[in-house]
Amino acid sequence: MVTKEKLKSYASKLMFDMDDAEYEILLSEFDVILRQIELINKIDNISDVKPMTFPFLDYERELREDKIEESLEIDEVLLNAKFKVNDQVKVPKVVE
Amino acid sequence: MDYRYSDIDTLRSLLSNNETTPESLFKEAKSLAHKYQSSINPFVTIVDEYQKESSNSYIDGIPYALKDNFSTKGMLTTASSNIMKDYVPVYDSTVYKKLKEAGAVLVGKTVLDELAMGGTGTTGHTGIVKNPWDLSRMIGGSSAGSAASVALGIVPFAIGSDTGDSIRKPAAFGGVVGFKPTYGRISRYGLFAFASSLDHVGCFSRIVKDAAIITDILKGRDKYDMTSLSDDDKVYSELLNNDICGKKLFYFKDICNPEYYKDSNDEILLKTLEEFHNTIEKCREIGFIVDEVPFKKDLLTAIYPTYMIISCAEATSNNANLTGIQFGPRAEGDNINDIMFNARTRGFSELIKRRFILGSFILQKENQEKFFLNASRVRRMIVDDMNKLFEEYDGLIMPASGGIAPHFDEASDRLSDRYLILENHLDIGNFGGYPSITIPSGFVDNMPIAINITGRQKEDDWVLNMAYKIEAKLGFKGQIAGGEDNV
Repeated sequence: MVTKEKLKSYASKLMFDMDDAEYEILLSEFDVILRQIELINKIDNISDVKPMTFPFLDYERELREDKIEESLEIDEVLLNAKFKVNDQVKVPKVVE
Repeated sequence: MDYRYSDIDTLRSLLSNNETTPESLFKEAKSLAHKYQSSINPFVTIVDEYQKESSNSYIDGIPYALKDNFSTKGMLTTASSNIMKDYVPVYDSTVYKKLKEAGAVLVGKTVLDELAMGGTGTTGHTGIVKNPWDLSRMIGGSSAGSAASVALGIVPFAIGSDTGDSIRKPAAFGGVVGFKPTYGRISRYGLFAFASSLDHVGCFSRIVKDAAIITDILKGRDKYDMTSLSDDDKVYSELLNNDICGKKLFYFKDICNPEYYKDSNDEILLKTLEEFHNTIEKCREIGFIVDEVPFKKDLLTAIYPTYMIISCAEATSNNANLTGIQFGPRAEGDNINDIMFNARTRGFSELIKRRFILGSFILQKENQEKFFLNASRVRRMIVDDMNKLFEEYDGLIMPASGGIAPHFDEASDRLSDRYLILENHLDIGNFGGYPSITIPSGFVDNMPIAINITGRQKEDDWVLNMAYKIEAKLGFKGQIAGGEDNV
């Protein structure tokens, strides 16, 4: 059963929070979603089927050589960071 | 001169004969973009200065619009989300790079549903996109602004992305062509990922031929996208006139039968299905064989929850890097965790957070088997059954939607067959990576309706060819929202 406390814990793991009213909305959405999801679990012999994670059935994964190529310059990489020191993004001390 | 109705061939001819210039076309498009911005809101950014690389390509000098989830170096790219509102990419997406090198002229970056996770065009951080055919209605999403910019005649083509119908549904609601090629046909490098196993790059246009021309320019292997396909060395725009006589199409029996809904008092649905069957007759008149074929109802009703589970789970993972540290609005906090927490709490809309929480729920260890893996199994079952049908048939033809573009305040019963099947069957094109195109097929209550044709994997040329022939028969090519009077 899905409770508001469980939803809050999932949000916390994703590093955000919502206000109480939004959790209420989400609870009522979950009611509909879980009923829709039950349609999946009613399908016969579903556990005999291999999960599909890629659209093509006959895809060959290829590996390329690990060659050094041109990449971004450090100042490009840091262009969108608000706080920087030299070639690093600045954040509060991790270890007090 | 009014270029709104002009397709790429016409503009190419005008440019080649020096009857206009690329800069003049850009200025006209930019003027139209500004004219419709406050009433329709298609754009996040309208390009101010004319910029073009020189090229001998067929689309040299042609103006276009680009969905704002494609990276454009030095130009704001927001994914219509507050958490990206100041983000300026430091590299170009492959799509943008190819269009620049082909000499196409970017007019603006278009509004989408936040992070491409929506189907209404109402959740972008710069406001809702209205349907140019009726301002009280949505145009759908997530590629809302791209659909609107083409429907209004601002540009002859626009680029979008399609994870679960996000090109093909707004195309239907906007009365334009929306093409989603085979998965990997066009590189996704530089497209902000939503659900990587479902994401496709595609385009909007007002005629099928223009969709073929653009796909010819954009397709091909990209070393930066290892899922991209090697070029099939076909020129789609030169294969549109191949003979389709005897080509076999099918549609889902029962679901497309008005009798199935006879107890419903949904007049719009019944009219849409009536028009669909009129379209089927026209397809037969030009030589298609069209059959109604049964498809397991339990799989059809499972399409929507399968899509929701897979897409929310993949999206939750793909967007874990949006923290406000290396880019995005930096929030306050005594430690790095608080900074990320506050940035994400403020930067994502409530709708997106609800989707992410659903994704997190699905990916909890105790839920993975029952939800994520079972949804992935249903995906395979649907694709397996579709591939069996594609051994006999050349394409699936269906109404693109069970009706017309909804009003903004319209509620829908999300457990009805109409919602679960008719509004979501386009997801099949994403599950199997099939090439799939929506083309206008008429009007119901003065709003555009459309059909969708989905073909075998990697047979993009045939899907475009079949759509080209049907488009010619139906007679709705090249239309502009509102016609001469416009909005």
